[in-house]
Amino acid sequence: MNRFKSALAASLCIAIGASPALAAETLKIGAPLALTGRLADAGQKSKQGYDMCVEAVNEKGGLEVGGEKRMLELVTYDYQSETNKAIEIVQRLVNVDKVPFLLSPYGSGDTKAAGVVAERYGVPMVAAAAATPSVFDQKFKNLFGILFPNKMITEAEVAYYKQHAPDAKKVAVLALNSLYPKGIAADLAASAKDAGYDVVFDQIYSPNTTDFSNALTQIKSLEPDWIYATGYTEDLILIRRQMADLGLSAPIVTMTAGPAYPEFASNVQQLADNVTTNSWWHQNANYKDDFIFGTSQAYNEAFNKRFGRDATYLEAAATASCETLAIAVAEANSTDGDAVRKIMHEKTFQTFYGPIHFGETGQNDYNAALVMQIQDGELLVLAPEELKQGALKIGVPPAGN
Amino acid sequence: MLGQYLVNGLLTGGLYACLAVGFALVWGVLNVVNMLHGSMVILGAYVCIIGVQQFGVPLYVAAPLACIALFAFGYAVQRGLINRVVAQPILITLTLTFGLDLIVNNLLLYFVGATPRSLITNFGAVDLFGVRAPVVRIGGMLVAITLTLLLYWLLHHSKLGRAIIAVRMDRHAAALMGIRIPQIYALTFGIGALMAGAAGCAMALIYPTAPMMSGVFLGKAFIICVLGGLGSVPGAIVGGLVLGIAEGAGSLAFGPQWATTVGFVLMMAVIILLPSGLAGRKGFE
Repeated sequence: MNRFKSALAASLCIAIGASPALAAETLKIGAPLALTGRLADAGQKSKQGYDMCVEAVNEKGGLEVGGEKRMLELVTYDYQSETNKAIEIVQRLVNVDKVPFLLSPYGSGDTKAAGVVAERYGVPMVAAAAATPSVFDQKFKNLFGILFPNKMITEAEVAYYKQHAPDAKKVAVLALNSLYPKGIAADLAASAKDAGYDVVFDQIYSPNTTDFSNALTQIKSLEPDWIYATGYTEDLILIRRQMADLGLSAPIVTMTAGPAYPEFASNVQQLADNVTTNSWWHQNANYKDDFIFGTSQAYNEAFNKRFGRDATYLEAAATASCETLAIAVAEANSTDGDAVRKIMHEKTFQTFYGPIHFGETGQNDYNAALVMQIQDGELLVLAPEELKQGALKIGVPPAGN
Repeated sequence: MLGQYLVNGLLTGGLYACLAVGFALVWGVLNVVNMLHGSMVILGAYVCIIGVQQFGVPLYVAAPLACIALFAFGYAVQRGLINRVVAQPILITLTLTFGLDLIVNNLLLYFVGATPRSLITNFGAVDLFGVRAPVVRIGGMLVAITLTLLLYWLLHHSKLGRAIIAVRMDRHAAALMGIRIPQIYALTFGIGALMAGAAGCAMALIYPTAPMMSGVFLGKAFIICVLGGLGSVPGAIVGGLVLGIAEGAGSLAFGPQWATTVGFVLMMAVIILLPSGLAGRKGFE
């Protein structure tokens, strides 16, 4: 029966004029995605970023590997925002789907857990949304991170505010009890102390917190000049609204990373004005990319055409994570893990996202930190100087209009 | 400062009570731990948000519409599905509503997406002797109190309410008295859903709404019902206020990361020391 099926398939190939050799197998890339659950919004954005890469590579005919053109195929499963499920899915992707390469789940915590599995099986995994150095300091050979370390961001922020708001002396820090927010808050507090700021409040809150009024009342009583809050976008929206409810304002209010996404401003409207944030990427950076898209702005235009809005650093990093893998496979001319891993470790990738160089720990060590602020509803780059779109505006509205 | 902390706790507690009233009613009358409750709150919130933002309907029209829509939804779900297993052990109905919750939540994700949305209003805040109370949160508390009073009136002064209480006390005896049990169950579930719809509209004014918030709302409703007394509607108000104040005090005493833990510890303490809850009737647990 099997012989008959093979003969039939071969006959069909001949009949339609196709050569079996030309119909090369697709190159599978496994991606656990948080399409439902707490991280669904971020998971869906990551998928959009991955789709941009796969579609762009396939549009140019795929990758030339071992003398044949290989189209990219993204193999995805929803891990429902649960770390345990993400681990199971990575195991399934490797053992059942036999993917030779992986993209990581969303966030530092899930990436750290999934990275252990990738390392055990020796499958290269690129993380698009993990910036905490403790994810990468496990001496893994197979884990690579697109986002540069938190510390580069917090140092850029502290240096900027020190220069542009020299009267600010007291900082209050409020962070979600999760690996990335806790990590970046700790780095911010350390950077601020080093720069001579007085950290008057430094607390974390638990996931699923539905009320910040008492923490914000405490902060109000300390009269900080700089309030720094980090957590899920929904938390930051609630914090900003409750600040207004309590009449809490400060010369500088920084939130990470919610204001980088358009939904922050749409959910707080006027209260978004003068809130500052930071980012790993912005389309105005306009880096050159010879592999796909051409430039950062061209990437953003393509993204806008496909999804009807501008790309944020999250989708861009997702696209770049898949792109670095594709470039490494093409240059290795092989899907062999060792060959690809070697290129990943040695090469500096020139992409629309910016130069990507996976340092000693596997995390991108190219610093391109951006300080940003929402002004009249628009997210503007304040620093670095070469990308500057506006000057810092001091003070946020104490209450809505 | 102490006054501000107390007001913060009371207002948050008022919102919690608003979330839990419908949940308590369904638990008390049907003996169903309605795992669908959180998603019904979210559904109500989206009816309000879409009504106001996409169809330009004023909030005071959208909110009653959300209540009516949720009542119809709750009535249909109970009559068509839950009623088939309502006499089964509580685990069966819990599993069924859990399954329904997954379906509704995923449908919401599919149709409205995961990106948070809000109803933007600015009702301002009341400032009295340096203590600020946002009007929208006072409104949420008033919604909870109004719903509870209306429910109290319905249960004690209407034919339907007397029938619901009769079914709650002894459904076999109630059936012998000529009360149509399936219809009373469906109406009760519908009223619970209506209250979830009203709570959803209030939440949409305060919280960024997204389908994944349903689990958070359900968790709060559950703790409140245990605190106040299982199935006790006035207990939902007591439980909500106690939880709001306890979480606030926990945040101050141990730091914000312990606020939710304090709520769970309090729930465990009540289960062990006061199984009928702070305002429940003994023997009804």
